[in-house]
Amino acid sequence: MKDDIIVTKDLCKTYVLGKITVPALKPTSISIKRGDYISIVGPSGSGKSTFMNLLGCLDTPTSGNLIIEGTDVSKLNENQLAKIRREKIGFIFQKYNLIPTLNAIDNVALSMSFVGINLKTRLKRAEELLGLVDLSKRISHKPSELSGGEQQRVAIARALSNKPSIILADEPTGNVDTKSGDKIMNILEDINSQGETIIIVTHDLDIAKRANRNLYIHDGEVVEAAY
Amino acid sequence: MTLLGICIGIMAIIALMGIGEGMQQAITGELSSLSDTIVLSTGDISANAFGGGGFEHANNNEYLTERDIADIQRINGIKDVSTVLFSPGIITFNGESNSVSLVGIDELNMEKIFGIGVLGLESGDFIEEGKQNTCVIGYNVAHEYFDVDIELGNRVNINGKNFAVVGIYKKQGSGMSTETDDNIHITPRDFEKITGLSESSSAIIRIYDVTYADVIADEIETVVNENHGDDDFANAITMTSLIESIQQIISIAQVVLLSIASIALVVASIGIMNTMLTSVMERTREIGIMKAIGATNKDVLFIFIMEGILISIIGGFVGIALGIIGSRGLSTVLTRSFGGELTPVISTSSILLGIAVAVIVGMLSSLYPARKAAKMSPIEAVRYE
Ligand SMILES: Nc1ncnc2c1ncn2[C@@H]1O[C@H](COP(=O)(O)OP(=O)(O)OP(=O)(O)O)[C@@H](O)[C@H]1O
Ligand SMILES: [Mg+2]
Repeated sequence: MKDDIIVTKDLCKTYVLGKITVPALKPTSISIKRGDYISIVGPSGSGKSTFMNLLGCLDTPTSGNLIIEGTDVSKLNENQLAKIRREKIGFIFQKYNLIPTLNAIDNVALSMSFVGINLKTRLKRAEELLGLVDLSKRISHKPSELSGGEQQRVAIARALSNKPSIILADEPTGNVDTKSGDKIMNILEDINSQGETIIIVTHDLDIAKRANRNLYIHDGEVVEAAY
Repeated sequence: MTLLGICIGIMAIIALMGIGEGMQQAITGELSSLSDTIVLSTGDISANAFGGGGFEHANNNEYLTERDIADIQRINGIKDVSTVLFSPGIITFNGESNSVSLVGIDELNMEKIFGIGVLGLESGDFIEEGKQNTCVIGYNVAHEYFDVDIELGNRVNINGKNFAVVGIYKKQGSGMSTETDDNIHITPRDFEKITGLSESSSAIIRIYDVTYADVIADEIETVVNENHGDDDFANAITMTSLIESIQQIISIAQVVLLSIASIALVVASIGIMNTMLTSVMERTREIGIMKAIGATNKDVLFIFIMEGILISIIGGFVGIALGIIGSRGLSTVLTRSFGGELTPVISTSSILLGIAVAVIVGMLSSLYPARKAAKMSPIEAVRYE
């Protein structure tokens, strides 16, 4: 039996805007197994990004617990969260979020610098990762010199750089054409087949169906879905 | 703009330190060869005798007596005592006239006071023993005073009497010692003939051990004052005390100038802070991304402080370069207007100080912006997709 890599207990996020409170994520209790490939679908504003940001330790829950690989991260301070992020989590955003002033290889190597890997090793590994996402010929291109699909593949290489145990992708194909989207999904599935846990948010049902577990969010409520 | 402030600040520091150091070296270099000298003078003259027109006592009737000299010689630790005659005079050459300082001194005293090495001769020789109506003139007298340079063997008219020029001194620079460049040296006998003065109001005393200079100076004053029954009759000034007071003046000047530099640096650091704050705002997203992929607050803090230091180090290096050039320029200007030689001394320590100051300014002024950056939340950046 595979172990639970992520467990949430009544995980909940509420935004307070003056007098109105927005329950962006209602109390959610689920567990995710190591090596899972999970898709999350839901209408706009339903709380998908909120959920992902909580899982990725970018945001802190209003209440409830989040346990990642046995550590209850809901009680950690900013510094400890940063360490969890760089050691256990690889985040892929809809808008790539590469550093515009750095070229592809430096973007990939940057996150490795925070864990204290030396420059030579960093660059070597960054080059390997860019090879993995089929961008060996683009390593010294700046983000502005790359297509959307290429930028997203750089972002995937970056997410993989610190050998995380979880890859979180918030609409990774949202800004690229179908062909590029397909390529991105193939890479992610390759990674998953090597044992990596992957959670992906998407609007595209065809993509969602490729996952082996499907979740649906509606008005901040997470439910299992079957396609 | 920001770089400019840093540049100016560091440049000021380097230039000021360079020139200050250069001045000190020039002055102490010149004076230290005279540091075993005590100058005794009568009347209420003070250290400014070294400034202005040399030792002039036109309306002073207080002279040192033979007895004074003999008494001084008896004091322990005295090497020798030489009296020197000073008077303003008029020199006429080639139909032009100029006022100069006349110094009546014989070869023996000349040796004793200056030593042969100190005042070099550009050409000719010092006045031969017993030779009358000959003079040795200062560099400026020879080369600056008249349209036509005075040459060896030329005849000049001093206070109505003709003299042959037998020697010309090398340029001495605007040192603090007697202003030989503008002086004419003649024998005491000739001095008496043309000025009517045979008694001296000053004496130059050399001692064996510089460390006792102040004690001996006090003793000389006491002895001479007793002889004349007047507590304020004589003044003995040691060269060491003079050097000290000059050095004090220089260091005060340096402090003042350094504070100007610090003001420039404060302005610069405000500039850096401003630039950095703007850059932090503009890079909110970038900072968020870095934090999202695992940068801790400390990492972000470090990145921004390094950036601040980098900015100011770049400014610092340009400042150092400009400072070196500037201090050369400034000392040329100073040399032109005041004479003398002033070579700025750019020491490694002042360059290191310049760099250190740049680093510190960069660090301090980027601290606040960097903290602001470090406090940013990672979702700020990724939320607005
Ligand atoms: N910082 C915030 N302050 C207040 N409300 C917020 C904040 N962030 C998100 N929300 C609200 O929380 C709800 C969920 O937002 P979320 O971004 O998670 O939606 P989403 O499912 O990712 O939508 P989309 O598909 O458009 O990306 C929305 O109603 C949104 O308005
Ligand atoms: Mg979203």
